Formats: sequence, C-alpha cells, structure tokens
Amino acid sequence: MPRISVDGRIIEVPESRTILQALDETGLLMAGIDVPHYCWHPKLSIDGSCRLCQVEVEGMPKLQIACNTPVADGMAIRTRSERVCSARQGVMELLLVNHPLDCAICDQAGECKLQDYAFEYGADASRTREPRRALKKNVELGPNIVLDQERCILCRRCVRFCDEVPATGELHVMGRGDRSVIETLPDEPLANDYSMNVADLCPVGALTTRDFRFKVRVWFLDDVPGVCTGCANGCNVTIGVSKNRVYRYQPRRNDAVNDTWLCDRGRLSYKRIGSGDRLAQASLRGTASAREPVSCGTAVAAAAARLQQLTDAAGAAALVVLASPHASNEDLFTLRRFCDALGVTARGAAVVLGPQDRLLMKAEQAANAEGARRLGFGPPDALLARVRCGEAAGALVFGHDVLDPAHLGGPEALTALETLVVVDLQDSALARCADVAIPVRHAAEREGTLTNFAGLAQRVQPAVEPGWEAWTDGEVVWRLGAALGLAGFEGAYDVRSVSRELAQAVPGFSGIDLDRVGEHGLSLAGVGS
Amino acid sequence: MGPQVPLITNYLTQHFLDDAAVGLEGYERLGGYAALRRALENSPADLIELITSAGLQGRGGAGFSTGLKWSFMPADGELPKYLVCNGDESEPGSFKDRILMERGPHQLLEGILIAAWATGAEKTFLYVRGEYERPAEALERAIAEARARGIVGTNVCGSDFAHDIVVIRGAGAYICGEETGLLESLEGKKGQPRKKPPFPAQYGAFGRPTTVNNVETLCHVPHIVNNGADWFRGFGTEKSPGTTLFGVSGQIARPGLFELPLGTPLDELVFEHAGGPAADQRVKGVIPGGLSMPVLPADQLDVPMANEFLRERRTMLGTGGVMVMDERTCMVRASVVIAHFFRDESCGQCTQCREGTGWIHKLVERIERGAGVMEDITVLEDICAKMEGQTICAFADAAAWPIQGMLRHFRGEFEAHVVQRRCGFAESFEL
Amino acid sequence: MVISPETRAAIDEAIARTPQPRGALLPALHLVQAEHGHISLELAAAVAEILGIRSGDVMEVVSFYDMFHARPQPRHHVSVCTNLPCSLRGARTLLAQLEAHCGVAAGEPTADGRLVLGREECLGACANAPVLRVDGTYHEKLDSEAARQLLDGLE
Ligand SMILES: Cc1cc2nc3c(=O)[nH]c(=O)nc-3n(C[C@H](O)[C@H](O)[C@H](O)COP(=O)(O)O)c2cc1C
Ligand code: SF4
Ligand code: SF4
Ligand code: SF4
Ligand code: FES
Repeated sequence: MPRISVDGRIIEVPESRTILQALDETGLLMAGIDVPHYCWHPKLSIDGSCRLCQVEVEGMPKLQIACNTPVADGMAIRTRSERVCSARQGVMELLLVNHPLDCAICDQAGECKLQDYAFEYGADASRTREPRRALKKNVELGPNIVLDQERCILCRRCVRFCDEVPATGELHVMGRGDRSVIETLPDEPLANDYSMNVADLCPVGALTTRDFRFKVRVWFLDDVPGVCTGCANGCNVTIGVSKNRVYRYQPRRNDAVNDTWLCDRGRLSYKRIGSGDRLAQASLRGTASAREPVSCGTAVAAAAARLQQLTDAAGAAALVVLASPHASNEDLFTLRRFCDALGVTARGAAVVLGPQDRLLMKAEQAANAEGARRLGFGPPDALLARVRCGEAAGALVFGHDVLDPAHLGGPEALTALETLVVVDLQDSALARCADVAIPVRHAAEREGTLTNFAGLAQRVQPAVEPGWEAWTDGEVVWRLGAALGLAGFEGAYDVRSVSRELAQAVPGFSGIDLDRVGEHGLSLAGVGS
Repeated sequence: MGPQVPLITNYLTQHFLDDAAVGLEGYERLGGYAALRRALENSPADLIELITSAGLQGRGGAGFSTGLKWSFMPADGELPKYLVCNGDESEPGSFKDRILMERGPHQLLEGILIAAWATGAEKTFLYVRGEYERPAEALERAIAEARARGIVGTNVCGSDFAHDIVVIRGAGAYICGEETGLLESLEGKKGQPRKKPPFPAQYGAFGRPTTVNNVETLCHVPHIVNNGADWFRGFGTEKSPGTTLFGVSGQIARPGLFELPLGTPLDELVFEHAGGPAADQRVKGVIPGGLSMPVLPADQLDVPMANEFLRERRTMLGTGGVMVMDERTCMVRASVVIAHFFRDESCGQCTQCREGTGWIHKLVERIERGAGVMEDITVLEDICAKMEGQTICAFADAAAWPIQGMLRHFRGEFEAHVVQRRCGFAESFEL
Repeated sequence: MVISPETRAAIDEAIARTPQPRGALLPALHLVQAEHGHISLELAAAVAEILGIRSGDVMEVVSFYDMFHARPQPRHHVSVCTNLPCSLRGARTLLAQLEAHCGVAAGEPTADGRLVLGREECLGACANAPVLRVDGTYHEKLDSEAARQLLDGLE
C-alpha cells in the first residue's frame, strides 16, 4: 500500500487510486481533509472538469486535480496552501459570474455546495458587472425532475449518472463553451426508474425534485437514518423530518447496499408514512358489522379472547398465522415464540412480487421478506390451501400482502373464517373486514432491524411518532401472548431484550444487537433455522 | 492553379510553384517517396534516433520533440496502434497546413508513412479541418493515387509493412485541433479534450496507443530521412533546427507564406520579406505565432523567431502565424476580436475556461464601448491569471495569454478607453 | 425525411474505414446534411440507429460543431471571416456592406430564404484577406463590388 503525506499527515492508501478516491476510501474526505469538488463523485466516472479539487503535489510544477491524479508511494500533497486556496477562490469566483443571485428563493439553499464553498473560500461575486446568462428556468425534464438552467454549473454529474447508472442516457450537454446547457431530447424525457437521484447529485439548485420543491426549507429538516421499505434491497435512506412529518427520503450511502442511490418508487414510498390510508384506529366488528373504534389495549384483549375461544374449541391446528414481511426481525422472532407457545404450526408470510432490475430493485416488495424466511415464515401456499379448503377456523394476519392476486386475490377466503384478527399498517380491505383490526407502526416510527435480500441486518429507528395509538407488530404479539397467559411474555415488551434473545436463540442471527448493527448493517451468517 | 499565396520557398515548398508536382507522377519525378523506401530499410528505432538527433520539434504549436514523442509509443507489437495527422489548422493567422495539404499532398503522405513505420502504426487518421474541403479532396486524390501504386496499402512500397490512411473531416470546432479533442472527434464525439493521464501514447484513438503529429511536422520528415540530421541542423538555430512556414498577414504590404529558417528575426520577416506596413504607416504590434500568442510591440521586433528567444519576450512561436497591426489599429478592439474567438471556441468543460472566456469577452467589449472602469483592467488581469495552467487543455492558457500580452504592452490604450469613455482610434477597423 | 440508399452506402463505407461504427459519425453527418440541408431529430435518429448509438449522442455532436445545423437552413450560406487578420484588412467593412446590400443583419436569413450572411472565425486564408465562404467554397481577396456580384449570382 502506497504511503502518502497529506498536509503533513502520513497515510496508507489503497493501490491504483487517484488522490480523491484514496481520501474517500480511507474515510478522510469526510473527516479532517477537505478537498472541495463538484464534478467528482465516488460512484461516477471521473470527469475532471470543474477544476475545484486542485491540490499541490510536491515535484509537480502545476497544481493537479485530486480527482484524476494517481497516488504514488511517497507523494506529498498539500490541500491548504496559499496557491491551492487562491486557485479554489478563482474557480468559485468564475462559477459565480453567471450564477443567479437568488439563494433567497432557491430550494437548494442550505444544502448547496456553491453556497457552502463560496462562503468557505471567500469568492467575491461582486466583481462582475456583466449581465448574467439568461436561460430556461423551470424546465420539466421528466415527471419527477425540474431543471433551472441558469443555476447549472455544468459539472455533468447528472449526465454521467444517466449514462452510467441506469444507462438510459436521457441527459445531454448541448452546445459549446458558455452556451452549453443541460437538455433532454423532445421525445426522450428523463423518466428512468432512478431519475430522482440527479437531484441529490446536483451540487447546486439546478435540479430539484417536483415532490420536494418549495415544501420546506432544508434547514428546518432533521435527518434520521433509516431504511427504505419499498423492496427487499433495503436501500439506506436519510429521512428528512420536520415537526413530526416526513418530507423526503434521500439516499444514505452504503456501498454494500445501494451505493448512493435510491429508485424513484422507493424514494417516494416515504409517502406511505403520512398517508391518509393508514390504519389509525383499532376496531372491533360488532354484531351490526359496523366497525367499533376501541383502544389498542381493548382490541388486543378482544383478539386474545377470540383466539382463546378458537384454540379451545378447535385446537391450535385450526389457526393460521401469516406474518408480515414488513415487520422487523424482533417482531418476527416474537411472533415465532408466540406460535411455538401456542402450538401453531401453520405459519408463513405472503410476499408481493414486483418488477426487479439489475441495479437495486428487487422483486420482493417488502423490506424483511428474507428475515421472515430465516425466522421460519416461509411461502404461505400450503397454509392458504388450508384456508381455502376450510381446514382453518381462524387467522391472525399481519399486513395485507396476502390480498395480492398471486396469493388470495381478495379478502373473501379469510373473511369466511370464524375469526380474523388483522394487524396492519394500512386500512386495507383486509383490515376493514377483520373481527379485530389493530394498527401498527411503520419502520420509520420504531426501533428494530430488517434483513435485506442478501442477509444484511439493518437498523431502523423512530424518525416520527404516529399521531395515534399504535405499537409495533412485536409489541402487539407480546401483549397478545401476555393476555393469553403464554409463558415467556411476562412484563413489558422491550425490543432490546428481544433482540438479545434472538441473537442467542436463532443461530442465523447470532451477533445481532440493535447497537451493534451500526450505520451500514451487519451481515448475518448463512441461513437461519 | 498555382500556390494561391505569395511564397518564399525552401525544401518544403519549392515544388509548390509547379502544378505538375502536386500529383504522384510529378512528385516522384522530383525524387518523391525515395525517403520512404530508404526509411523502410531502416529499423523504427534507427528512424526515431535520426529524427531525435535532427532535433525536429512539433510545428503544431507546442514545439515538443518529435523523436521523443515517437519513442513514447509502446515498442511491442500489440496492434492496432495509430498515427493521427493533425490537419485541423484553425489557429487564426495560420494557413500553412492548408497550403501543405493542397500543394504537397504526397510530401505529407510520405511523411505520414515514415512516421507510421517508425511508430508501428497500422493506420493513420488524417483529420482535416471541416472548412478545408479543397485540401481534403487533394489528399483523397493523392491517397487514391498512392494506393493504386502500392505506396499505401498492405505492402507499402513492396515491403511487409501494411498501412492505411483515412481522411476524416472535422466540422467547425477549433478545439478539435487540440490533440485529445481531435481524438474524441475522431471517435464521433464532441471535441472535448480528455483529461490526462492517460496520454495518447497509452490510450489514444479508440483507446489504442496513438501518436499525434501536425501536418507540417510530418512534412519535414522525408527531407530529414533523405538528407540526414546534420543537414537539417544546418537550418535554424541550435535549439530550433529546420525551416518553418511563417504565414504573414494583417496590415502589411505583401502578406504570404514564407518558408524560412527558424530564428529568422521578426523584423526581417515583417519588413523585408513581407514588405513592411503601408507607405504612410508604422507597425504598432505583431502577434508572432497565431492568435493564442502574446503580441510584441514595435520595439521588440528584433527577436529571432525561435522559442528560446521568443520566450524571453514572454511569447511563443506557436504556429508561426504572424499578424501585423499598424498604428491605426485599436488594440482594445483587437482584444475584443481575440476574446470573442476564444469565447466562441471554448469547448466549455472547464470552469475557468468556460466562464473566464465569456467574462473576458464581456469585460473587454465593455471597455471598448467606453463603459469600463479602471478596476475592470485589474479584474481582467486577475481572470487571466486564474485561467492559466489550471485546465484540462492549454486552450484556457491560449485564451489568457494574448489578453495578458495586450495588457502588458498596450495597457495605456485600455486606460484611455476608460478615461475618455470611448475609443480614440478613428481609423481602426470597426467591430 | 429519409436517408437515401446512396447516402446510406456512403455511410457504410465510412463505417468500414473506422475501428468503431461511431467513428463514422462526423462523415455520416456531413453526408446526411449534404443530402437534406440539416440534421433533423428524425435524421439524427436514423444515423444513430445505423451507428448503434443514441439520438442524443448525435444531437450533442450536431450542437457542438458549427458546420452542422439542427434546423432547416436558407439555400446558401455566405460567411465572412471576421477574425483579426481579416478584420485588419477590411472584412468587417465588407460584411457591413453586404448586410446593407442584402437588407439583413448577419445571422438572419433573408426573407425569401435565399441566403444567410454570417460571421466566421478564421478560415485559414489570411494572406488573401478578406475571405468569403459561400457554401463551402472560398473566395479570397474580394472587394465589395465582386462580393456583391457573387451574392447576386446565387439562386
Ligand atoms: C487549443 C489548441 C488548439 C490546437 N490546434 C492545433 C491545430 O489546429 N493543429 C495542430 O497541428 N496542432 C494543434 N494543437 C496542438 C496539438 O494539441 C498537438 O500538440 C499537435 O498536433 C502535436 O503535433 P506536433 O507535435 O507535430 O506539433 C492545438 C493545441 C491546443 C491546446
Ligand atoms: S444540472 Fe446540476 S448535476 Fe447537472 S450538470 Fe448542472 S450542476 Fe451538474
Ligand atoms: S430499490 Fe427497493 S429498497 Fe431501494 S429504494 Fe427502491 S424500493 Fe427502496
Ligand atoms: S481548457 Fe477550455 S477548451 Fe480546454 S478542455 Fe477546458 S474548457 Fe475545453
Ligand atoms: S472534482 Fe476534480 S475536477 Fe471536478
């Protein structure tokens, strides 16, 4: 490994990297060594055009761009010398020559690299007296992205993204010199499945998402790390929250999962959190078949009573349990213990399949389908067959994935049962016809871990609180167990102790621990029991 | 049809006066392609050695040693390797390559074939500026003749060496003269120069090892092979051997193309060969090497035209395009024309170049209109300094240098425009 | 607008001469423009398909090079070099005279679509300034009378 010195600090860096790559991979770019850059991005090809990343390399007469200069053993680099700072200041001043002075109305303000660096490197925008370029504003590049050509600094990140990541190539730099602009062809809008990433990549406010534009000033947002629940990939997100409301998901870099990207559908799936179709009220179905709102505690007690009745009458074999592939490992482990204690063997998890691609999108439309499988909630086919042929008398169903045409196609088979307890995030067709319906929390409203398709356990934490009474799937199960007087469900539900127990009890989850999972997940050993 | 411009000739151009020598037969009658045959009997290494010891320097603007450049090509046999002949000549004030291609196409082909043999290239892309339709036709005709006679093709002059030459026409972008912009253009892309590393000798046209040489550079090669390094060094200066083609234009009695030894004093060129300014005029300034090069004022014309001397005057030989301005000319207006050109032609990738060329143009134009303030002049100097040596290619330097030259020698004219709030040169060309 | 078989054959020849099909893009665009006068989106798509690239790649190239036009053009292009060597020898005066003669400013086509006058960067004929380029052909050392006649002779 070559050893280089950066501002006098000696570091070992990986072989055949450029200076910026080496700093990025050693984590120093984020911590302590600041080499400002616009066109370079760790997940895109090197462009070398913004010229902001210039550094001084001993023995080279000219400044060198850190993004494209290969490291060599013994190389001495200075990132803060007067020459470097003056070159940066020059680049910044030149970038501002044509940049509109509209930070006050720009959506990017607060997370704009132009604003940040201009401040940091003291660019003096006032020296230009010339009129600025007048270009197109509010150009709808596609369904999700809006372009302001005047704000563009032509770093070409967006262009390279479309060329290299989805490889759809919708964006182009048209023209030459200072007449260059970003454009799409009239008949080729920016409409790939990953289009919104260009808004994150854009270092300035030239590309913004239609969804987020003008909704909230970014400095009012708190960032909470989370995981997208759109599919089994489990892309890492930063949840932007203000006043207990989620405004956006942005990709959180995880090289093992999603690099720095999200698919558009996943990105917009934050909307499910605050959506009007959430199940926000526990209910019982009275004799008049109208839903009677009750507290969660009442609902759990009623559910326990019905389950007790059922198992007393027909035995545990008459009950089927469908777990939710959206629930956490801890939830599912609790449910597994519940089934064991009750003697229910008919357990599974229905998963909805959707489109998948070679990038991120996985067919399984749930964040923890893999965790469910590893905890013994496999394909539900045999179990659904039992429901259909009338061998089951009751069902405890988490989520409504089972309504998918690939499974039951509708609630009828389940509503025909004597007892139907539904624990759901949404006020689904299933929840609406359940005997007992109990709301639960979204992954962004709770503690826990999710296992992605590759067996990586990732942690979620509460970013917002639901505006109604709701527990996690695990806590609902725990309380049900307690109400049924099952052994092992004593005391209050505590996710941390469940997690510790999971680690001990299930070999495939050994080592899992909420606090050990960390920012980038914990890879679980092989397949569990 | 004639050579189309007044000529002073030497070894490169002496046969240009004769229409018959344009074709293969005429060229061979004058001893053409003998150098190629001789070269094929020598090893590539020996040829590289010969060209290196002759001291031939690239005539495309940068003046890099041709022999050394050839030696960068990987010697091992992995094919394909390419040669690119740069006939994009778009440097304002330059027209030598056009005449070389139009009047001496076989001389160029001979140079190309020798260079290809020396560098192990299997194919040459001869990139001709898009506007140069006639030169491109002349070359196509010459290639067809040479192919018919077995000079280009699978057995060059009966040897085992196979070589093909393809003419590619540009389409109107100055930046395609920069060697990596040219490579991109060859590949069917926008002519935006490549960042380096990698260099063309490692990763050139279509990703293969490639040598890029200027048209004139390659035209010298057969003569060196025929006459030897010492003969070549008999022309020019110790550090800059050979002749070169000076294209003299502007406010001068006899504009033309003059083949003279490097090191010929600029005043000799301007006053003797080109006949000096109009009778009642005096020279104010001369741009010695194409629009990219800083101007020299009238009192510095004693400089020998070779880089080692021109550098002392903070300018360069460039492409040898000598532009003469007499005292009627407003240097601020000249600067507007210069700044407009570079703004127009910047490829637009690099921040400093894209934004700097635009800003310089707007600034100079405003000063010329009489709407400038003194601070503008300082800002101008500062932008030029910030564009220098910091970009993907040397275009940004080429855009900054001539403005710096104007400010160095004619700052007073800029200040006068600011103070008088107008241009004081009644007889200058209008914008 | 479709590419004629002759043009198509010439494009195929160009492809055969370059290591990668895309290397034939500039030759192909010259050929298509010679046939149709400009490179419409439709023609760009046809060229893109032949070369196995995207229309956008073609349009980027069209937008970068001065000699390619994305929109229909007047019948004739007349351009005067206005770079320094020609400016020093009367090119701008000549251009102004031609603008007056044709009754249009440089860059605007005449109303009858006959021609457009343009400025051009250095054409590499500086010793014979001023220089006029009419549809690809150079006319050097022109005085204003000769230039006017030349223009009047254009269909
Ligand atoms: C902006 C720019 C424009 C250039 N234009 C030309 C040109 O038109 N013709 C040319 O031969 N070289 C041109 N060059 C120089 C080439 O990059 C390259 O150095 C040259 O073709 C190498 O050939 P030589 O070593 O034989 O001179 C240009 C360089 C720059 C930076
Ligand atoms: S739109 Fe944004 S990302 Fe795209 S080139 Fe412009 S500044 Fe860069
Ligand atoms: S790929 Fe899956 S996990 Fe990633 S953002 Fe899209 S839906 Fe979410
Ligand atoms: S210096 Fe100018 S011309 Fe050269 S690559 Fe950069 S922007 Fe393009
Ligand atoms: S980050 Fe290196 S040049 Fe842009």
